[in-house]
Amino acid sequence: MYGNNEFDGSAAFSGGGFMPSQATQTADPSFSPAKNREAQGLLPLTVKQIREAFQASDDKANILIDGVSVNNVKLVGLLFEKTERVTDVSFALDDGTGRIDCHRWVQEAVDTKEMELLSNGTYVKVHGHLKGFQGKKQLIVYSVRCVTDYNEIPNHFAECMYVHCYNTRTQKMQDAPQVTGQMPNPAVNTPSKGCQPTSSNYHNVDAIRGIDKLVLNYMQQPSCIGKENGVHRVELAKQLNVPEHKILEAIASLESEGLVYSTVDEFHYKSTANG
Amino acid sequence: MDTSNPAAFVNAELLRMYVGRRVRAVIQVLRNDGGSIFGKSTDEQELVVKGHPPNPPTTFVEVIGIADSNRSIQAEIWTNFGDNFDVSSYNTICQLANGDFKHLFI
Repeated sequence: MYGNNEFDGSAAFSGGGFMPSQATQTADPSFSPAKNREAQGLLPLTVKQIREAFQASDDKANILIDGVSVNNVKLVGLLFEKTERVTDVSFALDDGTGRIDCHRWVQEAVDTKEMELLSNGTYVKVHGHLKGFQGKKQLIVYSVRCVTDYNEIPNHFAECMYVHCYNTRTQKMQDAPQVTGQMPNPAVNTPSKGCQPTSSNYHNVDAIRGIDKLVLNYMQQPSCIGKENGVHRVELAKQLNVPEHKILEAIASLESEGLVYSTVDEFHYKSTANG
Repeated sequence: MDTSNPAAFVNAELLRMYVGRRVRAVIQVLRNDGGSIFGKSTDEQELVVKGHPPNPPTTFVEVIGIADSNRSIQAEIWTNFGDNFDVSSYNTICQLANGDFKHLFI
């Protein structure tokens, strides 16, 4: 969807309300995820993520997932074992990755009505607060609503993956403070690429950028700008000492950014800058 | 579904990896026999789903059950997913949930 590098999806979206605000997040060496109380957002999670984090954590009251303190969570799954009592309704939520016990306190008629509408075996989306009780994990639920558009289900899991990606990259960035000035580039552009938060990825991107830059710099020289037909790509390959297929890749990427254009035929290119 | 018995997201391609195990898939209904549904997976291949389909099924149905071969599922839970469903998104989720993000799911 958002394939263009110019569109900074992370800033425009701010993660759809799931991420702590951008202002507090990036390149802040004093940022401490566990204690940052301003960044108490809502985390979309799978039951498996919760279960693993819970088991791994010594302090059951303060669980961390991907370095982010878990307070409010969002889950989507099937509702089972609904049990109505006087002051609360409990049920199990099964999202395909595991089951978690949920409790919804019902104090007002509005709450009771909300719960009455739900039956076993229906898909629901749940917002709640994760709590450890006598060593067992439980979700204290604030809101339970039926899923009406079933596209919400793959959408929720896509959000889980995205947030996981974003948080693990942020974690890596904090662990490697020398990689400064690079915005975490979440996998919003091409979800099918997945998330590879390894530092080697940055080097690959730099290498490609390097060739693009070489080509662009050459084409932005006054002598090239002056040429009406632009530069022939064979000339580019010879002058920059770069194999022609790499030149082609660089040109394709620069073209998609709107930085160069082809002139008389597909061999001649010119920079869009006026010099 | 059983407690702590996860169901993997599958399309026809991934189904063969989970034969004998619990899976979930969205099928576009092509033919309904009453005892089984002959449908198209999210990656455009044909699958058979046995069990007790809902009556009537909508265009898209999610099934959760045991994969009993690389082309069929014995379904326990059926959910009508309506007539408007984004098959390509679901297919991408299947691929990611079995690929780079498997650790979040199974």
